[in-house]
Amino acid sequence: MNPVWLKQISAVLRLEIKKSFFARRGLWIYFLALIPVLIWGGHWMVMRYKAERMHTHAQASPGVTREKLLSIKQGMTTAEVEAILGHPASSRTVTRRNGTEFKYWTYSDGTTTRNITFRDGAVQRLNTEHAACDLQEDTVIFAGIFQFFYLRLAIFFGCMFVFMNLFRGEILDRSLHYYFLAPIRRDVLVVGKYLAGLVATTVIFCLSTIAQWTIFVLHFDPINRDAYLQQNNGFSHLLSYVGVTALACLGYGSVFLAAGILIRNPLITAATVLIWESINGILPAALRQISVIYYLKSLCPVEIPMQQGVPPPVALLAVNVDNAPPIVAVLGLLALSAAVVFISTRRIKRMEINYSTDN
Amino acid sequence: MAAPPPIEKSLIQLNDVSKFYGEVLGVNKINLAIPPGITSLVGPNGSGKTTLMNLITGLLQPTRGSIEVCGMTPEDPETFFRNVGYCTQFDSYPKGFTGYDFVYSFLRLFGWDHAECEQRAWRAIDRVNLREAASRKIAGYSKGMRQRIRLAQAISHDPRVLILDEPLNGLDPLVRAETIALFREFSGEGRHVIISSHVLHEVDIISDQVILMSSGYIVAEGQIKGVRSEIEEHPMQVLIRCDRPQALASRIFESNNVVEAKVHGDGGGLLIKTRNADEFYLMMNRIAMNGIMVETVAPVDDDVQSLYEYLIDDGGGGGGSKS
Repeated sequence: MNPVWLKQISAVLRLEIKKSFFARRGLWIYFLALIPVLIWGGHWMVMRYKAERMHTHAQASPGVTREKLLSIKQGMTTAEVEAILGHPASSRTVTRRNGTEFKYWTYSDGTTTRNITFRDGAVQRLNTEHAACDLQEDTVIFAGIFQFFYLRLAIFFGCMFVFMNLFRGEILDRSLHYYFLAPIRRDVLVVGKYLAGLVATTVIFCLSTIAQWTIFVLHFDPINRDAYLQQNNGFSHLLSYVGVTALACLGYGSVFLAAGILIRNPLITAATVLIWESINGILPAALRQISVIYYLKSLCPVEIPMQQGVPPPVALLAVNVDNAPPIVAVLGLLALSAAVVFISTRRIKRMEINYSTDN
Repeated sequence: MAAPPPIEKSLIQLNDVSKFYGEVLGVNKINLAIPPGITSLVGPNGSGKTTLMNLITGLLQPTRGSIEVCGMTPEDPETFFRNVGYCTQFDSYPKGFTGYDFVYSFLRLFGWDHAECEQRAWRAIDRVNLREAASRKIAGYSKGMRQRIRLAQAISHDPRVLILDEPLNGLDPLVRAETIALFREFSGEGRHVIISSHVLHEVDIISDQVILMSSGYIVAEGQIKGVRSEIEEHPMQVLIRCDRPQALASRIFESNNVVEAKVHGDGGGLLIKTRNADEFYLMMNRIAMNGIMVETVAPVDDDVQSLYEYLIDDGGGGGGSKS
């Protein structure tokens, strides 16, 4: 038989999950979760369009090979080019007012496209496009979007809204007494609400992570896709990203749950936590561990290499510190979250319902 | 037969209770031992009635002193709130709730199963006569209906102690009479019913005992009969919001105790003065059943305020004991 507190937690979940998922004020969380999906979706469509155009060009210029395309050099004449590659797949001629004539010819072998610009009948500029994605580069871009946008902004602000609303939102709505007048221990109430927030944010953000990864995989051509999934541990990347997403909800959720109970002004809280998380890379080792991002970064499957010329604010976010081993990172994050939730359960016992001064 | 509980287990006891909001006084040095029955906390707005009720139910914590309700404290909410029901004045509800959801979901927090919660919810809703509106969203309720659904929530778990903050506010005369009957039924079963009101005339009708508060202090407590004569000397002013104030005015002088009636400045109500609130409310019930749509009946604060001043300055109203 279930103990009463379990039934009470399930009653709180029943009430809170609906609010967390469908709060009208929180619909922007879905948009935040959707942004990376849209980015990868857009990228996929652009790549498909490019591939289709190349295929059309290849059909219009038969006999073109990669070797022939790469043999074209600056200074060649239109006749020389036509002798090697034949009639262009597409061509355009523009004559300027000063009488200079520009010709733009396109050839493709189906995987590589060369756009050739002639000035007064001689090759002036050559531009090469490839249909296939750069596996290495795209994997790093995925990691960059995940770490810099998804973890630090989308999940951060999504959790801020959901978890701070659990108590602070109810105080603003003047409805918290509904729970405080029921025979439910306040620490049980905190756990119930926290679990409700966790379910909502984990489902929203993990589904987005899975969608991002799926589109990311689909946008590769079959060769690169196989290479990513079989040689580059694509599936283990997916597991890591989903795990990191869930742990981010757990960690940030606990922080903002406590903030909603302890602190009145959500903006000050959000700004403070955001700054603290952003400067994590330059903090002393002991302080670095009192943050969520330290553990999350340690668990991300792809390192983002620092390149020269990166603007200072981005460099600050990207500082690669000594990562914690995975088991330490997971346990550290669980311990941090448990400690913060425990503090919340202690503090809630002293909370008073005094809506007029809490507003 | 089970032995009656020890006397201290049947009292609501407040020992030297004070509450300060920073520098601002909420209530100060409150000592009370409230026996079962209907007890009214009366006082002008800002006198500390709600603060005292919030302290009793643990929504506020005393700066000094201690509180026990029949031997229980809110520090053990699992026991306390199975025995205490509190109908607050907070007129806000979880978003999107129907009246039924509001009561049912509250009962689920007790850990009871669906069938039991459903049965208790409907029983409580029936007791406040709100079954027909129970499936509608609370956001569309009138003030009186919202008051009644809060009352249903407070009584839904059949508490030993019922605490009600201004429970008659916004009720029409018919519902007011039914609600008062409900309080009497509760107190008749040996339970505590504590009601706050700033309307002395209302308290006169329903209470066994009165605690008169002013500026955070208890200025008098005792049997209600002591203040009755003072009330009769001071006509009570009531604002009746209705669809046809002129028609109502022509009917209102059926009562010998109505001394004055005038149409309210906005034309949507009637201001009357009466010496007998009890008789007046009974008459309003008859009128409400005879074609005039009465929306609300509410005492006008200014008059009540002057009566408080009279009672408080006079030393607490006759039979009450000064604390």
